[in-house]
Amino acid sequence: MTLSYVPDGSLAHRLDPRSKLLVQIGFAAAAYAYTTPRGLAALTLLAVACLSLAGGGPRDLWTYRAAFPVLAIAPVVAGATLGAPWFRVERAATTGLASYRVLLILVVAAGYVRSTPVRESRAAIQRAVPGKAGQFLGTGVALVFRFLPLLKRDLLTAREAVQARGGGALPVRERMRLVAVAGINRAFGRADRLGTALNARCFAWNPTLPRLALGPADYPALAVGAGLVAAAVATLV
Amino acid sequence: MIDVDGVTCRFGSDGGSGDADDGVVAVDDVTLSVPDGEFLIVAGANGSGKTTLVRTFNGLVEPDAGTVAVNGTPVSDDLVAARTAVGMVFQDPRDQLVAATVGADVAFGPENLGCSHAEIDRRVDDALAAVNMTGREDDRVASLSGGERERVAIAGALAMEPDHLVLDEPFTGLDEPARRSVLDRLRDLRAAGTSVIAVTHDLRDVLGLADRVVGIADGRVAVDAAPEAAAADLPGLDVRVPASFEADDSDRYATAAGGDAASGP
Repeated sequence: MTLSYVPDGSLAHRLDPRSKLLVQIGFAAAAYAYTTPRGLAALTLLAVACLSLAGGGPRDLWTYRAAFPVLAIAPVVAGATLGAPWFRVERAATTGLASYRVLLILVVAAGYVRSTPVRESRAAIQRAVPGKAGQFLGTGVALVFRFLPLLKRDLLTAREAVQARGGGALPVRERMRLVAVAGINRAFGRADRLGTALNARCFAWNPTLPRLALGPADYPALAVGAGLVAAAVATLV
Repeated sequence: MIDVDGVTCRFGSDGGSGDADDGVVAVDDVTLSVPDGEFLIVAGANGSGKTTLVRTFNGLVEPDAGTVAVNGTPVSDDLVAARTAVGMVFQDPRDQLVAATVGADVAFGPENLGCSHAEIDRRVDDALAAVNMTGREDDRVASLSGGERERVAIAGALAMEPDHLVLDEPFTGLDEPARRSVLDRLRDLRAAGTSVIAVTHDLRDVLGLADRVVGIADGRVAVDAAPEAAAADLPGLDVRVPASFEADDSDRYATAAGGDAASGP
Protein backbone atom coordinates (compact mmCIF):
# COMPACT_ATOMS: atom_id res chain seq x y z
CA MET A 1 0.00 0.00 0.00
CA THR A 2 1.28 3.46 -0.94
CA LEU A 3 0.21 6.51 0.99
CA SER A 4 -1.68 8.75 -1.37
CA TYR A 5 -4.83 10.83 -1.63
CA VAL A 6 -7.98 8.86 -0.85
CA PRO A 7 -11.31 10.42 -1.91
CA ASP A 8 -13.54 10.70 1.16
CA GLY A 9 -16.00 13.06 2.80
CA SER A 10 -14.08 13.42 6.06
CA LEU A 11 -13.69 16.74 7.85
CA ALA A 12 -10.04 16.98 6.79
CA HIS A 13 -11.04 16.47 3.16
CA ARG A 14 -13.30 19.51 3.40
CA LEU A 15 -10.58 21.75 4.81
CA ASP A 16 -8.60 24.18 2.72
CA PRO A 17 -5.09 22.78 2.13
CA ARG A 18 -3.57 25.98 3.54
CA SER A 19 -5.23 25.29 6.91
CA LYS A 20 -3.87 21.77 6.89
CA LEU A 21 -0.40 22.96 5.99
CA LEU A 22 -0.45 25.43 8.90
CA VAL A 23 -1.51 22.66 11.29
CA GLN A 24 1.32 20.49 9.98
CA ILE A 25 3.90 23.21 10.38
CA GLY A 26 2.62 24.09 13.84
CA PHE A 27 2.61 20.45 14.88
CA ALA A 28 6.18 19.90 13.71
CA ALA A 29 7.33 23.02 15.53
CA ALA A 30 5.54 21.98 18.73
CA ALA A 31 6.94 18.46 18.50
CA TYR A 32 10.46 19.86 18.48
CA ALA A 33 9.68 22.36 21.23
CA TYR A 34 7.94 20.03 23.67
CA THR A 35 10.02 16.91 24.04
CA THR A 36 8.89 15.87 27.50
CA PRO A 37 6.75 12.75 27.87
CA ARG A 38 3.82 14.93 28.93
CA GLY A 39 4.16 17.19 25.91
CA LEU A 40 4.49 14.26 23.56
CA ALA A 41 1.48 12.56 25.14
CA ALA A 42 -0.63 15.62 24.37
CA LEU A 43 0.73 15.73 20.83
CA THR A 44 -0.03 12.03 20.45
CA LEU A 45 -3.71 12.74 21.05
CA LEU A 46 -3.58 15.56 18.52
CA ALA A 47 -1.77 13.42 15.92
CA VAL A 48 -4.28 10.60 16.26
CA ALA A 49 -7.10 13.14 15.97
CA CYS A 50 -5.57 14.57 12.78
CA LEU A 51 -5.33 11.15 11.15
CA SER A 52 -8.81 10.16 12.32
CA LEU A 53 -10.34 13.38 11.01
CA ALA A 54 -8.81 12.50 7.63
CA GLY A 55 -10.56 9.12 7.71
CA GLY A 56 -7.28 7.30 8.28
CA GLY A 57 -6.14 4.74 10.79
CA PRO A 58 -3.24 2.50 11.78
CA ARG A 59 -3.20 0.92 8.30
CA ASP A 60 -1.99 4.19 6.83
CA LEU A 61 1.09 4.05 9.04
CA TRP A 62 2.12 0.77 7.41
CA THR A 63 3.44 2.90 4.56
CA TYR A 64 6.16 4.10 6.89
CA ARG A 65 7.25 0.60 7.86
CA ALA A 66 10.67 1.11 6.32
CA ALA A 67 11.30 3.93 8.81
CA PHE A 68 10.22 1.95 11.87
CA PRO A 69 13.43 -0.09 12.30
CA VAL A 70 15.54 3.06 12.06
CA LEU A 71 13.38 4.87 14.61
CA ALA A 72 13.42 1.82 16.88
CA ILE A 73 17.16 1.16 16.74
CA ALA A 74 18.18 4.80 17.19
CA PRO A 75 17.66 4.78 21.02
CA VAL A 76 19.65 1.55 21.30
CA VAL A 77 22.54 3.03 19.35
CA ALA A 78 22.35 6.28 21.31
CA GLY A 79 22.34 4.50 24.64
CA ALA A 80 25.19 2.11 23.87
CA THR A 81 28.68 2.99 25.14
CA LEU A 82 32.04 1.42 24.36
CA GLY A 83 32.90 0.86 28.01
CA ALA A 84 31.15 0.61 31.36
CA PRO A 85 28.29 1.11 32.02
CA TRP A 86 27.77 -0.17 28.38
CA PHE A 87 24.35 1.39 28.16
CA ARG A 88 23.09 4.81 29.30
CA VAL A 89 19.36 4.72 29.79
CA GLU A 90 18.91 8.51 29.94
CA ARG A 91 20.57 8.94 26.53
CA ALA A 92 18.46 6.16 25.06
CA ALA A 93 15.32 7.73 26.53
CA THR A 94 16.13 11.15 25.04
CA THR A 95 16.70 9.63 21.61
CA GLY A 96 13.62 7.45 22.02
CA LEU A 97 11.51 10.52 22.59
CA ALA A 98 13.08 12.13 19.52
CA SER A 99 12.22 9.05 17.46
CA TYR A 100 8.72 9.12 18.80
CA ARG A 101 8.17 12.75 17.82
CA VAL A 102 9.31 11.91 14.29
CA LEU A 103 6.68 9.17 14.27
CA LEU A 104 4.03 11.67 15.42
CA ILE A 105 4.96 14.07 12.61
CA LEU A 106 4.64 11.19 10.14
CA VAL A 107 1.16 10.45 11.50
CA VAL A 108 0.03 14.03 10.92
CA ALA A 109 1.64 14.00 7.46
CA ALA A 110 -0.28 10.81 6.64
CA GLY A 111 -3.52 12.61 7.47
CA TYR A 112 -2.54 15.47 5.17
CA VAL A 113 -1.54 13.28 2.24
CA ARG A 114 -4.64 11.12 2.61
CA SER A 115 -6.99 14.11 2.58
CA THR A 116 -5.36 16.46 0.07
CA PRO A 117 -5.30 16.02 -3.73
CA VAL A 118 -1.91 16.75 -5.27
CA ARG A 119 -3.21 19.64 -7.31
CA GLU A 120 -4.65 21.30 -4.18
CA SER A 121 -1.25 21.03 -2.50
CA ARG A 122 0.26 22.61 -5.57
CA ALA A 123 -2.34 25.38 -5.50
CA ALA A 124 -1.74 26.04 -1.79
CA ILE A 125 2.01 26.25 -2.29
CA GLN A 126 1.79 28.47 -5.36
CA ARG A 127 -0.52 30.85 -3.51
CA ALA A 128 1.63 30.89 -0.39
CA VAL A 129 4.87 31.41 -2.33
CA PRO A 130 4.28 33.90 -5.14
CA GLY A 131 6.09 34.06 -8.45
CA LYS A 132 8.45 31.63 -10.13
CA ALA A 133 9.65 30.24 -6.81
CA GLY A 134 6.11 29.15 -5.95
CA GLN A 135 5.57 27.65 -9.39
CA PHE A 136 8.83 25.74 -9.12
CA LEU A 137 8.09 24.53 -5.59
CA GLY A 138 4.47 23.63 -6.37
CA THR A 139 5.42 21.74 -9.50
CA GLY A 140 8.19 19.93 -7.65
CA VAL A 141 5.83 18.81 -4.91
CA ALA A 142 3.25 17.69 -7.48
CA LEU A 143 5.82 15.69 -9.45
CA VAL A 144 7.23 14.03 -6.33
CA PHE A 145 3.76 12.96 -5.23
CA ARG A 146 3.05 11.62 -8.72
CA PHE A 147 6.41 9.96 -9.29
CA LEU A 148 7.13 8.31 -5.93
CA PRO A 149 4.17 5.87 -5.92
CA LEU A 150 5.11 4.76 -9.44
CA LEU A 151 8.74 4.33 -8.45
CA LYS A 152 7.77 2.33 -5.40
CA ARG A 153 5.58 0.06 -7.52
CA ASP A 154 8.48 -0.48 -9.92
CA LEU A 155 10.77 -1.48 -7.05
CA LEU A 156 8.16 -3.92 -5.76
CA THR A 157 7.74 -5.54 -9.16
CA ALA A 158 11.53 -5.77 -9.52
CA ARG A 159 11.71 -7.53 -6.15
CA GLU A 160 8.88 -9.89 -7.11
CA ALA A 161 10.61 -10.68 -10.40
CA VAL A 162 13.79 -11.58 -8.52
CA GLN A 163 11.87 -13.79 -6.09
CA ALA A 164 9.81 -15.44 -8.84
CA ARG A 165 13.01 -16.79 -10.39
CA GLY A 166 14.48 -18.22 -7.24
CA GLY A 167 16.24 -15.04 -6.20
CA GLY A 168 14.86 -15.38 -2.68
CA ALA A 169 17.65 -17.85 -1.93
CA LEU A 170 20.37 -15.34 -2.82
CA PRO A 171 22.27 -13.45 -0.11
CA VAL A 172 20.59 -10.23 1.03
CA ARG A 173 23.38 -8.12 -0.45
CA GLU A 174 22.97 -9.72 -3.87
CA ARG A 175 19.19 -9.32 -3.76
CA MET A 176 19.58 -5.66 -2.82
CA ARG A 177 21.99 -5.16 -5.70
CA LEU A 178 19.62 -6.78 -8.22
CA VAL A 179 16.60 -4.81 -7.05
CA ALA A 180 18.56 -1.56 -6.88
CA VAL A 181 19.97 -1.93 -10.40
CA ALA A 182 16.58 -2.91 -11.83
CA GLY A 183 14.94 -0.13 -9.83
CA ILE A 184 17.32 2.54 -11.12
CA ASN A 185 16.85 1.35 -14.71
CA ARG A 186 13.10 1.40 -14.30
CA ALA A 187 13.20 4.80 -12.60
CA PHE A 188 14.94 6.29 -15.61
CA GLY A 189 12.46 4.62 -17.97
CA ARG A 190 9.57 5.74 -15.79
CA ALA A 191 10.89 9.31 -15.71
CA ASP A 192 11.13 9.29 -19.51
CA ARG A 193 7.57 8.04 -19.90
CA LEU A 194 6.20 10.43 -17.31
CA GLY A 195 7.94 13.30 -19.07
CA THR A 196 6.46 12.23 -22.40
CA ALA A 197 2.99 11.96 -20.86
CA LEU A 198 3.28 15.42 -19.32
CA ASN A 199 4.44 16.85 -22.65
CA ALA A 200 1.58 15.16 -24.51
CA ARG A 201 -0.85 16.78 -22.13
CA CYS A 202 0.66 20.24 -22.48
CA PHE A 203 2.27 20.39 -19.05
CA ALA A 204 2.32 24.00 -17.89
CA TRP A 205 4.20 25.69 -15.06
CA ASN A 206 1.22 27.88 -14.33
CA PRO A 207 -1.97 25.92 -15.04
CA THR A 208 -5.50 26.71 -13.89
CA LEU A 209 -5.31 25.77 -10.23
CA PRO A 210 -8.25 24.54 -8.17
CA ARG A 211 -10.27 27.13 -6.33
CA LEU A 212 -9.21 27.45 -2.71
CA ALA A 213 -11.53 29.04 -0.18
CA LEU A 214 -11.51 29.10 3.59
CA GLY A 215 -14.76 27.79 5.03
CA PRO A 216 -16.21 27.79 8.55
CA ALA A 217 -14.39 24.56 9.41
CA ASP A 218 -11.06 26.10 8.47
CA TYR A 219 -11.07 28.70 11.23
CA PRO A 220 -10.72 26.21 14.11
CA ALA A 221 -8.00 24.45 12.11
CA LEU A 222 -6.19 27.73 11.55
CA ALA A 223 -6.54 28.50 15.25
CA VAL A 224 -5.03 25.12 16.16
CA GLY A 225 -2.16 25.64 13.72
CA ALA A 226 -1.47 29.17 14.91
CA GLY A 227 -1.72 28.04 18.53
CA LEU A 228 0.85 25.31 17.97
CA VAL A 229 3.22 27.72 16.27
CA ALA A 230 2.76 30.23 19.09
CA ALA A 231 3.34 27.54 21.71
CA ALA A 232 6.54 26.48 19.99
CA VAL A 233 7.76 30.08 19.72
CA ALA A 234 6.91 30.65 23.39
CA THR A 235 9.51 28.10 24.42
CA LEU A 236 12.21 30.15 22.70
CA VAL A 237 11.51 33.42 24.51
CA MET B 1 -5.61 17.99 -41.07
CA ILE B 2 -2.22 16.44 -40.40
CA ASP B 3 0.35 16.77 -43.18
CA VAL B 4 3.48 14.66 -42.99
CA ASP B 5 6.09 15.53 -45.59
CA GLY B 6 9.25 13.49 -46.08
CA VAL B 7 9.65 12.68 -42.40
CA THR B 8 12.67 10.67 -41.30
CA CYS B 9 13.46 9.78 -37.69
CA ARG B 10 16.66 8.16 -36.50
CA PHE B 11 17.52 6.87 -33.09
CA GLY B 12 21.04 6.76 -31.77
CA SER B 13 22.32 9.40 -34.16
CA ASP B 14 24.75 12.03 -32.94
CA GLY B 15 22.72 14.61 -34.77
CA GLY B 16 25.54 16.35 -36.49
CA SER B 17 27.65 14.05 -38.56
CA GLY B 18 25.53 14.31 -41.67
CA ASP B 19 26.15 10.64 -42.26
CA ALA B 20 23.08 9.03 -43.86
CA ASP B 21 23.84 5.74 -42.09
CA ASP B 22 24.07 7.41 -38.72
CA GLY B 23 21.77 5.72 -36.17
CA VAL B 24 18.83 3.38 -36.60
CA VAL B 25 16.22 4.66 -39.03
CA ALA B 26 12.81 4.27 -37.37
CA VAL B 27 10.84 6.31 -39.90
CA ASP B 28 12.14 6.63 -43.42
CA ASP B 29 10.95 9.44 -45.68
CA VAL B 30 7.24 9.12 -44.94
CA THR B 31 4.75 11.40 -46.62
CA LEU B 32 1.02 11.23 -45.91
CA SER B 33 -1.99 13.35 -45.03
CA VAL B 34 -4.68 12.66 -42.46
CA PRO B 35 -7.85 14.64 -43.15
CA ASP B 36 -10.23 15.69 -40.39
CA GLY B 37 -12.92 13.16 -39.55
CA GLU B 38 -11.02 10.15 -40.86
CA PHE B 39 -10.69 6.87 -38.95
CA LEU B 40 -7.18 5.84 -39.88
CA ILE B 41 -5.34 2.68 -38.91
CA VAL B 42 -1.55 2.79 -38.84
CA ALA B 43 -0.57 -0.87 -38.99
CA GLY B 44 2.78 -2.56 -38.68
CA ALA B 45 4.77 -5.16 -36.82
CA ASN B 46 6.66 -4.41 -33.62
CA GLY B 47 9.57 -2.10 -34.39
CA SER B 48 8.19 -1.06 -37.76
CA GLY B 49 8.25 2.62 -36.77
CA LYS B 50 4.51 3.24 -36.48
CA THR B 51 4.62 4.60 -32.91
CA THR B 52 7.56 6.85 -33.74
CA LEU B 53 5.67 8.15 -36.77
CA VAL B 54 2.53 9.11 -34.86
CA ARG B 55 4.60 10.71 -32.10
CA THR B 56 5.84 13.21 -34.64
CA PHE B 57 2.22 14.34 -35.11
CA ASN B 58 2.27 16.27 -31.83
CA GLY B 59 5.98 16.86 -31.45
CA LEU B 60 6.74 14.15 -28.91
CA VAL B 61 9.35 13.01 -31.41
CA GLU B 62 11.17 15.57 -33.50
CA PRO B 63 11.94 14.38 -37.03
CA ASP B 64 15.54 14.39 -38.20
CA ALA B 65 14.28 15.38 -41.64
CA GLY B 66 11.00 16.49 -43.14
CA THR B 67 8.12 18.43 -41.63
CA VAL B 68 4.83 17.73 -39.90
CA ALA B 69 2.08 20.33 -39.97
CA VAL B 70 -1.18 20.26 -38.04
CA ASN B 71 -3.98 22.43 -39.40
CA GLY B 72 -1.43 24.17 -41.59
CA THR B 73 0.98 25.10 -38.78
CA PRO B 74 4.31 23.28 -38.51
CA VAL B 75 4.38 21.30 -35.28
CA SER B 76 7.76 22.74 -34.31
CA ASP B 77 6.33 26.28 -34.54
CA ASP B 78 3.63 25.72 -31.93
CA LEU B 79 3.94 22.59 -29.81
CA VAL B 80 1.01 23.48 -27.56
CA ALA B 81 -1.29 23.93 -30.57
CA ALA B 82 -0.12 20.60 -32.01
CA ARG B 83 -0.58 18.78 -28.71
CA THR B 84 -4.01 20.31 -28.28
CA ALA B 85 -5.03 19.32 -31.81
CA VAL B 86 -3.57 15.81 -31.64
CA GLY B 87 -4.50 13.96 -28.46
CA MET B 88 -2.58 10.82 -27.66
CA VAL B 89 -3.39 7.69 -25.71
CA PHE B 90 -0.27 5.68 -24.93
CA GLN B 91 0.11 1.94 -25.23
CA ASP B 92 0.22 1.53 -21.46
CA PRO B 93 -2.31 3.91 -19.89
CA ARG B 94 -0.43 3.71 -16.60
CA ASP B 95 2.27 5.79 -18.27
CA GLN B 96 -0.30 8.46 -19.00
CA LEU B 97 -2.40 8.72 -15.86
CA VAL B 98 -0.79 11.28 -13.60
CA ALA B 99 -3.38 11.95 -10.87
CA ALA B 100 -4.82 9.93 -8.01
CA THR B 101 -8.46 10.22 -9.07
CA VAL B 102 -10.28 9.93 -12.37
CA GLY B 103 -11.64 13.49 -12.32
CA ALA B 104 -8.28 15.05 -11.45
CA ASP B 105 -6.56 13.11 -14.19
CA VAL B 106 -9.05 14.05 -16.89
CA ALA B 107 -8.86 17.68 -15.74
CA PHE B 108 -5.05 17.72 -15.95
CA GLY B 109 -4.90 18.67 -19.65
CA PRO B 110 -7.51 21.45 -19.59
CA GLU B 111 -5.85 22.88 -16.45
CA ASN B 112 -2.56 23.04 -18.32
CA LEU B 113 -4.30 24.83 -21.18
CA GLY B 114 -5.40 27.49 -18.70
CA CYS B 115 -9.13 26.88 -19.17
CA SER B 116 -11.58 28.47 -16.73
CA HIS B 117 -12.96 26.32 -13.92
CA ALA B 118 -16.38 26.14 -15.59
CA GLU B 119 -14.78 25.08 -18.87
CA ILE B 120 -12.66 22.46 -17.10
CA ASP B 121 -15.75 21.03 -15.40
CA ARG B 122 -17.63 20.92 -18.71
CA ARG B 123 -14.75 19.20 -20.50
CA VAL B 124 -14.33 16.63 -17.74
CA ASP B 125 -18.06 15.86 -17.78
CA ASP B 126 -18.14 15.56 -21.57
CA ALA B 127 -15.00 13.43 -21.75
CA LEU B 128 -16.18 11.03 -19.05
CA ALA B 129 -19.57 10.77 -20.76
CA ALA B 130 -17.83 9.93 -24.04
CA VAL B 131 -16.12 6.94 -22.43
CA ASN B 132 -19.19 5.91 -20.46
CA MET B 133 -17.71 6.81 -17.06
CA THR B 134 -20.03 9.58 -15.95
CA GLY B 135 -20.08 9.97 -12.17
CA ARG B 136 -16.75 8.21 -11.65
CA GLU B 137 -14.76 11.41 -11.01
CA ASP B 138 -13.83 10.46 -7.46
CA ASP B 139 -12.77 6.89 -8.23
CA ARG B 140 -9.13 6.18 -7.47
CA VAL B 141 -7.07 5.51 -10.59
CA ALA B 142 -5.17 2.77 -8.74
CA SER B 143 -8.39 0.82 -8.22
CA LEU B 144 -9.46 0.79 -11.88
CA SER B 145 -9.36 -2.27 -14.12
CA GLY B 146 -7.23 -2.30 -17.26
CA GLY B 147 -10.18 -1.42 -19.50
CA GLU B 148 -11.26 1.39 -17.21
CA ARG B 149 -7.73 2.81 -17.19
CA GLU B 150 -7.72 2.75 -20.97
CA ARG B 151 -11.03 4.60 -21.01
CA VAL B 152 -9.80 7.20 -18.50
CA ALA B 153 -6.70 7.67 -20.67
CA ILE B 154 -8.96 8.23 -23.67
CA ALA B 155 -11.06 10.67 -21.62
CA GLY B 156 -7.91 12.54 -20.61
CA ALA B 157 -7.00 12.97 -24.27
CA LEU B 158 -10.58 13.88 -25.26
CA ALA B 159 -10.69 16.59 -22.58
CA MET B 160 -8.12 18.47 -24.64
CA GLU B 161 -10.83 18.53 -27.34
CA PRO B 162 -8.42 17.40 -30.03
CA ASP B 163 -9.11 17.37 -33.75
CA HIS B 164 -7.40 13.97 -33.94
CA LEU B 165 -7.16 11.25 -31.32
CA VAL B 166 -4.19 8.88 -31.60
CA LEU B 167 -4.49 5.54 -29.81
CA ASP B 168 -1.34 3.46 -29.59
CA GLU B 169 -2.15 -0.26 -29.43
CA PRO B 170 -5.46 0.37 -27.67
CA PHE B 171 -6.26 -3.31 -27.10
CA THR B 172 -2.93 -4.54 -25.76
CA GLY B 173 -3.26 -6.32 -22.45
CA LEU B 174 -7.04 -6.01 -22.26
CA ASP B 175 -9.33 -8.93 -21.52
CA GLU B 176 -12.37 -9.57 -23.67
CA PRO B 177 -14.91 -7.39 -21.83
CA ALA B 178 -12.43 -4.53 -21.63
CA ARG B 179 -11.56 -4.94 -25.31
CA ARG B 180 -15.25 -4.81 -26.24
CA SER B 181 -15.74 -1.77 -24.04
CA VAL B 182 -12.89 0.17 -25.66
CA LEU B 183 -14.12 -0.91 -29.11
CA ASP B 184 -17.58 0.42 -28.25
CA ARG B 185 -16.05 3.74 -27.26
CA LEU B 186 -14.18 3.89 -30.57
CA ARG B 187 -17.46 3.28 -32.39
CA ASP B 188 -19.02 6.12 -30.39
CA LEU B 189 -16.13 8.45 -31.25
CA ARG B 190 -16.40 7.53 -34.90
CA ALA B 191 -20.16 8.12 -34.81
CA ALA B 192 -19.54 11.51 -33.21
CA GLY B 193 -17.22 12.46 -36.09
CA THR B 194 -13.98 12.47 -34.05
CA SER B 195 -10.88 11.74 -36.10
CA VAL B 196 -9.25 8.61 -34.78
CA ILE B 197 -5.79 7.28 -35.61
CA ALA B 198 -5.42 3.75 -34.24
CA VAL B 199 -1.88 2.37 -34.16
CA THR B 200 -1.90 -1.41 -34.03
CA HIS B 201 -0.44 -4.70 -35.19
CA ASP B 202 -3.77 -6.47 -34.68
CA LEU B 203 -6.50 -5.23 -37.00
CA ARG B 204 -9.08 -7.90 -36.29
CA ASP B 205 -11.21 -5.59 -34.18
CA VAL B 206 -10.79 -2.27 -35.90
CA LEU B 207 -10.39 -2.93 -39.61
CA GLY B 208 -14.13 -2.72 -40.16
CA LEU B 209 -14.26 0.69 -38.49
CA ALA B 210 -11.52 2.24 -40.62
CA ASP B 211 -11.84 4.60 -43.54
CA ARG B 212 -8.23 4.00 -44.52
CA VAL B 213 -5.26 1.84 -43.58
CA VAL B 214 -1.60 2.85 -43.73
CA GLY B 215 0.77 -0.10 -43.38
CA ILE B 216 4.31 0.60 -42.18
CA ALA B 217 7.27 -1.72 -42.75
CA ASP B 218 10.86 -0.82 -41.94
CA GLY B 219 9.83 2.76 -41.36
CA ARG B 220 8.29 3.20 -44.80
CA VAL B 221 4.71 3.34 -46.01
CA ALA B 222 4.12 -0.06 -47.60
CA VAL B 223 0.33 0.09 -47.88
CA ASP B 224 -1.99 3.09 -48.11
CA ALA B 225 -5.48 2.13 -49.13
CA ALA B 226 -9.10 1.70 -48.14
CA PRO B 227 -9.54 -1.24 -45.76
CA GLU B 228 -11.08 -3.55 -48.36
CA ALA B 229 -8.09 -3.08 -50.65
CA ALA B 230 -5.52 -3.03 -47.85
CA ALA B 231 -6.71 -6.29 -46.27
CA ALA B 232 -5.05 -8.36 -48.98
CA ASP B 233 -1.63 -6.74 -48.60
CA LEU B 234 -1.47 -6.40 -44.82
CA PRO B 235 -0.56 -10.01 -43.91
CA GLY B 236 2.77 -9.43 -45.66
CA LEU B 237 3.56 -6.83 -42.98
CA ASP B 238 3.31 -9.38 -40.15
CA VAL B 239 0.10 -7.93 -38.76
CA ARG B 240 -3.06 -9.78 -37.78
CA VAL B 241 -6.09 -9.17 -39.97
CA PRO B 242 -9.62 -10.60 -39.82
CA ALA B 243 -10.33 -13.67 -41.92
CA SER B 244 -12.62 -11.61 -44.08
CA PHE B 245 -13.25 -7.90 -44.30
CA GLU B 246 -16.61 -6.70 -43.09
CA ALA B 247 -17.41 -3.01 -42.70
CA ASP B 248 -18.56 -2.15 -39.18
CA ASP B 249 -21.65 -0.01 -39.62
CA SER B 250 -22.92 -0.45 -36.09
CA ASP B 251 -22.09 3.15 -35.21
CA ARG B 252 -24.71 4.29 -37.66
CA TYR B 253 -27.27 2.91 -35.26
CA ALA B 254 -25.56 4.13 -32.11
CA THR B 255 -27.78 6.22 -29.94
CA ALA B 256 -27.07 9.79 -29.12
CA ALA B 257 -26.48 8.66 -25.54
CA GLY B 258 -23.32 6.91 -26.57
CA GLY B 259 -24.12 3.55 -28.13
CA ASP B 260 -23.75 0.33 -26.24
CA ALA B 261 -23.78 1.23 -22.58
CA ALA B 262 -24.00 -2.36 -21.39
CA SER B 263 -20.35 -3.13 -21.90
CA GLY B 264 -17.98 -4.50 -19.32
CA PRO B 265 -15.31 -2.64 -17.41
